[in-house]
Amino acid sequence: MAALLALEPAGLRRVLKAGLRQGVEDLPLRELVAQELDCEPGSSAVDQLLAQLQQRQWLVHQGKIWKTRLA
Amino acid sequence: MVKILAIHSFRGGTGKSNLSANLATVLAMGGRRVAIVDTDLASPGVHVLFGFSPSADQQTLNDHLEAGVPICRCAHEVTPAEVKQARGHVWLVPAAMNSDRIARLLREGYEVEKLNDALFELAEVLKLDVIVVDTHPGINEETLLSTAIADCLMMVMRPDGQDYLGTAVAVEVAQRLDVPAIRMVINKLPSYFDAQQVRERVSSSYQVPIGALLPLCDELLTLASGDLAVLRFADHPWSAGVQQLAHDLVASVL
Repeated sequence: MAALLALEPAGLRRVLKAGLRQGVEDLPLRELVAQELDCEPGSSAVDQLLAQLQQRQWLVHQGKIWKTRLA
Repeated sequence: MVKILAIHSFRGGTGKSNLSANLATVLAMGGRRVAIVDTDLASPGVHVLFGFSPSADQQTLNDHLEAGVPICRCAHEVTPAEVKQARGHVWLVPAAMNSDRIARLLREGYEVEKLNDALFELAEVLKLDVIVVDTHPGINEETLLSTAIADCLMMVMRPDGQDYLGTAVAVEVAQRLDVPAIRMVINKLPSYFDAQQVRERVSSSYQVPIGALLPLCDELLTLASGDLAVLRFADHPWSAGVQQLAHDLVASVL
């Protein structure tokens, strides 16, 4: 969680925080990312950011839920 | 949906565990299903307030984090009689008091997200209304997680110079993690302190609502963490302060 605290910008912290607690479903996550990136939820920018976060294994898919894994 | 109340302080000795246990009890007196989880893995203690000491065959939070024991088996009902009458429930998830277990967990570590998942699994199994998370003082992985997932963070401090400085760091961390609600709790306030001055200083220092100003009191010292003040000294100003804090939380957060 120190990693979460250290992340910039604040929007990225908000996105990853959404994956804590019980996790977040795909559509609300995409909407949150889109809000932070000021684009549409279906845009490639959202796809790219989610893909990067998955590649870093900071976000993982568990069924229909995205969960944050920063450890 | 379960609400997470994280009780935190930057420094030790602020009365966090006492507040956690008593606040959980007051909330349960309102007929709620409440769990209190001792995440102070390095120096556990909240179980003492409930007169609970896990026997060799009773599971603790350490058993879940280290060995994957289902979290519901690590929760023990400690509901006081007065709370039962009010149809409330209190469960405790204690941390291990064995020095070897403590040292092992600190040495080997664990994925802190396991703690996150455990809380919500527990909430589902026990149908909890509230989880009170008693944290270790200072900034570490567990306290950062508890802060990040809290619906309300209670920052406990004494009216002491070191606490003022350290609490500023903790409040900044909480704001950086977008905690939806923060409440300052000033505990162990000596009778000769001007309460209004303290209130103004805390308000201006942190720009965060004050949840409670709780007095330093002989009765609590007498209890020595051996019992719950809100039950034994229900009419005492300290207990009244905790009850008012609970009332505030019910109105604004829960």
